[in-house]
Amino acid sequence: MQNKKAKILTVLFFLLPFLLTLASLSIGRFHVPPKDLARTIIQTISPSTGPRVPTAYQDILFRIRLPRLLLALMAGAALSLSGASLQALFKNPLVNEFILGISFGAAFGAALSLVFLGKNFPAQIAAFIFSLIAVLAVLLISGRSESHTISILLTGVIVSAFFQALLSLVEFFANPYALQSLFFWLLGSLSLATWKDLSISLPIMAVGIVALIMMRWRLNVLSLSDEEAKSMGVNVRRERLLVILFASLITAAATAVAGVIGWIGLIIPHLVRMMVGADNRKVIPLAAALGASALIIADDITRVAATFEIPIGILTSIIGIPFFIILLRRSRKVWL
Amino acid sequence: MAVSIDVRELSFGYKDFRLSIDCLRLETRKVTSIVGRNGAGKSTFLKCLAGVVPVSKQSLFLDGRDLASLRMAERAKLISYVPQEISLALDYRVLDLVLMGRAAFISPFSVPSWKDLRTAEEALRFVGLEGFETRNFSQLSSGERRLVLIARTLAQSAEILLLDEPTTFLDPKHEIEVMNLCRKLALDKGKTVIVTLHNLETAVNYSDTMVFMKKGKVVASGKPDEVLNSSLLEQVYDIRMTIVPHDGKKIIFR
Repeated sequence: MQNKKAKILTVLFFLLPFLLTLASLSIGRFHVPPKDLARTIIQTISPSTGPRVPTAYQDILFRIRLPRLLLALMAGAALSLSGASLQALFKNPLVNEFILGISFGAAFGAALSLVFLGKNFPAQIAAFIFSLIAVLAVLLISGRSESHTISILLTGVIVSAFFQALLSLVEFFANPYALQSLFFWLLGSLSLATWKDLSISLPIMAVGIVALIMMRWRLNVLSLSDEEAKSMGVNVRRERLLVILFASLITAAATAVAGVIGWIGLIIPHLVRMMVGADNRKVIPLAAALGASALIIADDITRVAATFEIPIGILTSIIGIPFFIILLRRSRKVWL
Repeated sequence: MAVSIDVRELSFGYKDFRLSIDCLRLETRKVTSIVGRNGAGKSTFLKCLAGVVPVSKQSLFLDGRDLASLRMAERAKLISYVPQEISLALDYRVLDLVLMGRAAFISPFSVPSWKDLRTAEEALRFVGLEGFETRNFSQLSSGERRLVLIARTLAQSAEILLLDEPTTFLDPKHEIEVMNLCRKLALDKGKTVIVTLHNLETAVNYSDTMVFMKKGKVVASGKPDEVLNSSLLEQVYDIRMTIVPHDGKKIIFR
């Protein structure tokens, strides 16, 4: 009985992001009633059939809301999945996407583009490139030391701090207009999502998400000590690099288009581990599904809560932190 | 089934310690215990055999095959290993932990099959932990934890099991349970079990062969009845000990 209940719940959790995406299409400043939602979709697929709906609906749904929701879906899944995988890999519940320098690398890249390079070098591309440069720097500096995981974490902290300093330097030299757009970029936003940006970032996120979901069981073995994993025939160094690579790619792709969105990568994996225990075979796919749902809901709130749009990065922190405190107080012991 | 494990001019060192074994043959399908003082190199020797530290080529052979030239997964299918201490970050269920022993048979991008699950369940049954599948590792006693880890090496389906101090921190009952299990693995399953031990009496009474180590070198090896004497123990441990036969077993007084 309990098993059956768990199965139904699991199916619901996996359907949730898609149901939310559909429901969220009608949410926003400009209300699109659900019945018109269906009509608009039918009309777009086959323009000659069905009753006419205002053409504005098509623009709103497919040019503005759909790319934005797809970005929320994929970026939410990516950030949560990346957090969950890196926590298992580094055997540490506090690891998140900030730890490998990805976020501040991206922030510096975006700052460089918004303040100095202008339209010739879009912020998204600069953010993506610099977040990968940050991760590469972490991996190169941490080198081949014996206690590799600790040295990667420590190097991550240092590289993050370095990019944070560079970011401040750029901010110091920025003119007020550039500073303002940088300020909003750093707070995170899904509102600027266009199909053009998504055409590059969504496939990258999709590849990384699928790869990490495929590696879900291996993450159990990689969460053991290096010695144990090696004795079981696992090429620890190579597989650890693979996980870091996929986690970095999806975080960089998400951060490049959505800005710095905190807390998803920390809270959702904790919530999932509280629900299903330690086994990454369950944790990883569920973290992706719940991360996607969480960011879609957060984005819905930013659109309807006020007459102006609250940056999503602020919202995830304001909702996320109290929620995390409650989680910690009720926490089932999953980490030893 | 392998016939012999040969060690030839094995050398591995840390800063101020060097393991150096010129020539040693370990028998297969037997229980071999490695004894010696703390820092004698027992654990390091097991790590070399397990392949978790790098050793030079042409120093470890299984039936004439150079172990250093094998791929990690290939080696893991021949040799499994339980370290002295395990530091688990996440509190896995017992069955999930035993299942990890199948890693060498499963691609990094795949999950265990039904067959892998059956192997893990059978390993748990063999060590007497049937019914523990869904228990969390943190809820087990030290003795039960040891048995789970032995089940994991069993799930690895390797011929050779290396157990680093499997009886440390165990009460006498659990100590006997683990050592009986080692004997059962050798007798019933034809496994080669190599353990490091601190309790000399356990080593003498439960092993087919003993290897005595001191300062990174092998001092003596052979059947307990043939090699064991007070002067050897004094040489290895630097204290006087007396061996007294009793009821078919041996008691060692310090």
